[in-house]
Amino acid sequence: MIDIVFLVISVITILSSIMVIRSRKLVHSAVYLAGSFMGTAAFFILLKAEFVAWIQVLVYVGAVVTLILFTIMLTKKGEEE
Amino acid sequence: MIANAYELVVYILSAIGIYDPINGFFQNYGMEYLLRIIIIVVEIVVLLVFVLLTVMFLSWLERKMFAWVQSRYGPMITGPHGLFQPIADGIKLVGKEDIIPAGADRWIFTLAPFIIFVPALLVFIPLPFGDSLIISDLRIGLLYIIAISALSPVSILLAGWASNNKYSLMGAMRAVAQDISYTIPLALAAIAVVLYVGSLSTVDIVRAQEGTWFDIIPRWFIFVQPLAFILFLIASIAEMGRIPFDFQESEQELVAGFYTEYSGMKFAMYFLGEYAHMFAVSGVIVTVFLGGWTGPVLPFIPVQITSLVYFIIKTYAVIFFAMWLRDTVPRMRIDQLLNLGWKIMIPLALLNLLVTSFLLTAGVV
Repeated sequence: MIDIVFLVISVITILSSIMVIRSRKLVHSAVYLAGSFMGTAAFFILLKAEFVAWIQVLVYVGAVVTLILFTIMLTKKGEEE
Repeated sequence: MIANAYELVVYILSAIGIYDPINGFFQNYGMEYLLRIIIIVVEIVVLLVFVLLTVMFLSWLERKMFAWVQSRYGPMITGPHGLFQPIADGIKLVGKEDIIPAGADRWIFTLAPFIIFVPALLVFIPLPFGDSLIISDLRIGLLYIIAISALSPVSILLAGWASNNKYSLMGAMRAVAQDISYTIPLALAAIAVVLYVGSLSTVDIVRAQEGTWFDIIPRWFIFVQPLAFILFLIASIAEMGRIPFDFQESEQELVAGFYTEYSGMKFAMYFLGEYAHMFAVSGVIVTVFLGGWTGPVLPFIPVQITSLVYFIIKTYAVIFFAMWLRDTVPRMRIDQLLNLGWKIMIPLALLNLLVTSFLLTAGVV
């Protein structure tokens, strides 16, 4: 059971990490980056390290992705593709 | 000792005498975990229905209170005193065309409402509605709540950007600036309480507030940490984006802020998410500062029921305060808001944290 969950999370995390560098638009990359960070948090939950997991969500998804999105929005339209 | 709602359901089923036959039936097929999954799914469905009904009631209450303050009647036609108005609104919104603007980023435009709606519901998982009425008593419950709330700026920013509308983008930028600056005093105020309790679990925080001083004053953290309570309340109202701080949708300047371009069910999701967030935040304030579900124990009535009633009463008191504020206070200016957040609230929260940790280390409290 736990192996299946591990495999599903791994596939999601790896695919979204690949999509971060594959996607054409920067904002899409940022969304995939959030997905990959969430996957990492899910790994920590599987390892029963809940504190690290939610700190991961708070710092990486909550702050880092927001910061990246903010910087992308300050670039000119057209430059982002 | 019943720890959470799952154990409560098992306890009630055992008391009626049907738990063992059902469990035996599943054990014959070697699928005990299936019963566990079914009970948990039922719990979550009950919670969702409860939250959505509350959200509908809150949207009615909001309009009704706004009307009373302005000496109007408010919604009156659908049902007794317009009580079914939210249902009529819901049917109207489902029937509306789902418009995606031509210049919008379709994928992110559709995704953004879900990213705001789902966390608004996830917050309820470690929220104790009563003694043992909790889906899961996480060891890091308060951190979980703060982390989940930190997801909303991402959704707002995506919605504002994907709409490809200058008002949406400006509203989103303001909303995120506000969210980021008010999450810090919120977390710092909560940490002062966590230091005092020594645990991040919401149940432990409520248990630490049981009992009274001199048989009169309840041991709520509002009396132990008054400054933290005020900071937490202001920061929560700012996080909810309600009127003294509603820059994300200040109608006179920005049409409707980051959800200007949304219509139909996507708009309804923002609407529901906003009220679900309001209910959740009020619940968190009650849990952390107003004693949660604690209250006088009554004879003959199970403690689960009385504690649920106490929790609902306190939560509605906080919601009433937030609505009252919205009806009577004018909107601030964006620079005043950021000044209040960064120059007054964060230093005060840090000072509060310093004094608390000093007193705890010195062993005074």
